[in-house]
Amino acid sequence: MTLLGITREGFRRINVNQGETRVSDDPDVVLTTVLGSCIAACLYDPAAKIGGINHFLLAEPGRSDIDGTSMQRYGVYAMEVLINAMLTMGAARNRLRARLYGGASMLDGFHDIGSDNAQFARRFLRDEGIALVGEDVGGTGARRIEFRPTLGLARCRTVTDRHAVERAVPIPTAAAMAPPGDVEFF
Amino acid sequence: MTAQLSSKGPAVPSTIMTVDDSPSMRMLLRAALTDLGFNVLEAENGIHALERLEGAEPDLLITDINMPRLDGFGLIEQVRSKARHRNLPILVLTTESSDEKKLRARQAGATGWIVKPFHPEKLAAAIRRVLH
Repeated sequence: MTLLGITREGFRRINVNQGETRVSDDPDVVLTTVLGSCIAACLYDPAAKIGGINHFLLAEPGRSDIDGTSMQRYGVYAMEVLINAMLTMGAARNRLRARLYGGASMLDGFHDIGSDNAQFARRFLRDEGIALVGEDVGGTGARRIEFRPTLGLARCRTVTDRHAVERAVPIPTAAAMAPPGDVEFF
Repeated sequence: MTAQLSSKGPAVPSTIMTVDDSPSMRMLLRAALTDLGFNVLEAENGIHALERLEGAEPDLLITDINMPRLDGFGLIEQVRSKARHRNLPILVLTTESSDEKKLRARQAGATGWIVKPFHPEKLAAAIRRVLH
């Protein structure tokens, strides 16, 4: 994630790029991301005042894509990381609430990745028993999300240059992420 | 039972029990482990795993940590308290990586710790090591 500086309101903005997850219990933090066909799930625990956001590119890998580096792009991994990070910080699973954003159809005439992403995210939340309390998904426009993790409040705005969105945001390389699948024997 | 795990998979299929409250993660594990030639048993939390272990003799248990009802630490402690599973290899598979939690898992009786997302080749290597 990238620190973007201080907002006029005095909040510390943290950008969450593709493949990244960020959780915070800092009331002065705003987590922000820009989405096209990607999905960002904003989870929060209103009692613990902990929230987090992920940003994933694709829903679920095929059998040939089940490797550590590839999985970082997938929702099935991103959701697991987000939930576990929140539980580690002190959130309770049965109190988690979710908001979903993104999933736009960004490439006319191609497979609708955005729609698949949105369907996956809804199904995942339903399977995990996490209440979906708000969403702004689909359509053809890119979105900028600003999420206050401690309050669970999100602001979703349309981004004019929709094609610039995901071109401008590089997918993190494996080197920038925690080493996947590290094994330690006791 | 000890598997003869090669790059083509075990000659005698071993059975691995996976314990994770995430259906999606269980699906990914099942896909990876069956590709490696293993039989897979699944449980969705520690209590469910203990129930399934009453009638099963897996060769390896792979468990998440953060789960409802009974978490991974509690599961490992319960398994180790039963004579018939005292030597069952247990790998923790979790997104967590704090030294404190690794120590707790080690003290509970875990065999090893794998950080999610699992890499199939690293997972296979870890399984090969604990089953041989």
